Amino acid sequence: MLDLPTVLSDVRRGMIPAHVYADPEVFALERDRLFARSWVFLAHESEIPDRGDYVVRRVLADSFIVTRDESGLVRVLFNMCLHRGMQVCRAEMGNASHFRCPYHAWTYRNDGRLAGLPFHGEAYGGDDGFSRAGQSLLPAPSMATHNGLIFISLDPDAPPLPDYLGDFAFYLDFYTRQSPAGVELRGPQRWRVRANWKIGAENFAGDSYHTPHTHASVVDIGLFREPKASKRKEGALYVAGPGAGTTYKLPPGGDFAGQLRYVGYPDAMIGAMAASWSARQRALIAGSGFMVSAATLFPNLSLVHNWPQIDAAGTVAPFISLRQWQPVSEHETEVLSWFAVDAAAPEEFKRDSYKAYLMCFGSSGMFEQDDVENWVSITEMAAGSMARRLNLNSRMGLSSAGEPIRPPMDGAFAGPGVAYQGFGEFNQRHWLRQWADCLERPPAARGRAADMGAAVVPGAAR
Amino acid sequence: MTAAPSARGRPLLYGDPAHLAAHQFLVEEAALLDAADYEGWLGLLTEDIRYLMPVRVTTARGAGFDSLADMGHFDEDMYALRKRVQRLATDHAWTEDPPSRIRHFVTNVRTFGAGEHEWLVESALLMFRSRGDTRAADLVSAGRSDLLREGAGGLRLARREITVDESVLRTQNLAVFL
Repeated sequence: MLDLPTVLSDVRRGMIPAHVYADPEVFALERDRLFARSWVFLAHESEIPDRGDYVVRRVLADSFIVTRDESGLVRVLFNMCLHRGMQVCRAEMGNASHFRCPYHAWTYRNDGRLAGLPFHGEAYGGDDGFSRAGQSLLPAPSMATHNGLIFISLDPDAPPLPDYLGDFAFYLDFYTRQSPAGVELRGPQRWRVRANWKIGAENFAGDSYHTPHTHASVVDIGLFREPKASKRKEGALYVAGPGAGTTYKLPPGGDFAGQLRYVGYPDAMIGAMAASWSARQRALIAGSGFMVSAATLFPNLSLVHNWPQIDAAGTVAPFISLRQWQPVSEHETEVLSWFAVDAAAPEEFKRDSYKAYLMCFGSSGMFEQDDVENWVSITEMAAGSMARRLNLNSRMGLSSAGEPIRPPMDGAFAGPGVAYQGFGEFNQRHWLRQWADCLERPPAARGRAADMGAAVVPGAAR
Repeated sequence: MTAAPSARGRPLLYGDPAHLAAHQFLVEEAALLDAADYEGWLGLLTEDIRYLMPVRVTTARGAGFDSLADMGHFDEDMYALRKRVQRLATDHAWTEDPPSRIRHFVTNVRTFGAGEHEWLVESALLMFRSRGDTRAADLVSAGRSDLLREGAGGLRLARREITVDESVLRTQNLAVFL
């Protein structure tokens, strides 16, 4: 039996009850109290560039069609026929002007509106039995975009997305707005791992401490020079709005262009970045000397930016990946991992960056391989009885009195939010505090389910 | 009997020495992979190898595609494959330490002439992968389309395209070769 108040108070003092990583009762709460409300990433506009393009994505068990309708608007539609509940789209991507349910041929336009149903007159007596006007596949209760990233919330009263993103939007630009053309996503690679979804989200939020050991092999083989402990601990960790992330310290003395050249960007892209980013964003790189690496936007969208060596000639190429930790159950997660690149980047850069991504992250990536091994193992151990007797220590960076062992960075870190240099679990605690706040809230009131199609006179149907 | 023609023309008959050599190549290659002799495996590849595994997707029958043209699970040249092999040989490749127990089952081999000293070889692959003591094992099913080239040292693999039979892989990573 779950003792939720104790779990949440333990989490808030930085002690994590190990069973939360494999607990069906916790998972049910996450479904009803967290994913039923949070802004969740679904897709990027570059995945559906043309009218009629669509992809199908989920929020846990709920399937949504993300389409670009005939007027060019992005729509997010619940993938369930209004009549008998069949999925109206069973492909995961494609181009269609209409979606026709295979069961009884109810047909919907790609903006969701019901276009027709067979034998309307004979079967329903026309509009008196079923009024077609205004009928539509259920739209996502809330939908908004930022830098082309399409988010939905199952809560119709979700706060405006810009309010939710807050200061984290500053950091999202480094990954998704390197030029006015914005980013384009390829993929995703999808695979299922027997690990709890929270572990990856926490790891990307701030675990710079694992990098030197978990990823020692990529330093051993000369793939990426930065993860050595001596370099990793110079990086800054930041918390901003609902997000948090890690950075690497760049070589001293470099100007804006020099630092971006160091991580492998060609001059054509550096010019676009200078124009696309604010003075404060440029100052994080040029003045403070930090380059963004991994980050997580609560709850389950992570981002990564690294710059490995991709050939024997020593070419350094940066890459960006977006990834979603899609919960399947308390012990299984579907990973969706996209390669992302500036849409206006030179083709040669796109090719090199794609190679860098495949070598490092995704289903075959040499970083990711070792991460997942750890997370599967944690999930396996968290399912047992002994895990209920163990609170994991997530207090790194704090004294026994709960004070930071080093003060937060002041002017030395130009970005918004709170930043600390060196190792610490500030970011994971920040993620877990949001998680605890979500689990503590009562479930959102769903209201009465909507009747479809008819103004029904009260009384029994015959 | 006469073998059925395909888009690649008619496959060689099973008794054809070129088919026998290609089939034996794939079986010997699988033995190296099952033994985790990855250095030995690299020796079977040409320097200009392209090793490709596109992401498969679920699309409508009329869509005209069922894999992504611009996204793979693998899209490797010799440098990238060497790095993967070097990594597995370090003391820090945790995902394969303890190692998986792996078996590559290779079947349905068809060989097509592709010019002088080159053959296109199609095969079906089932990879069984077991990790730890009690975890459920993974199965990866795929078709492979290979270009084998005869050189001074015998047959070598010059190109492999792996057509995996799942859109969502059910193995924790691809720290393995298919």
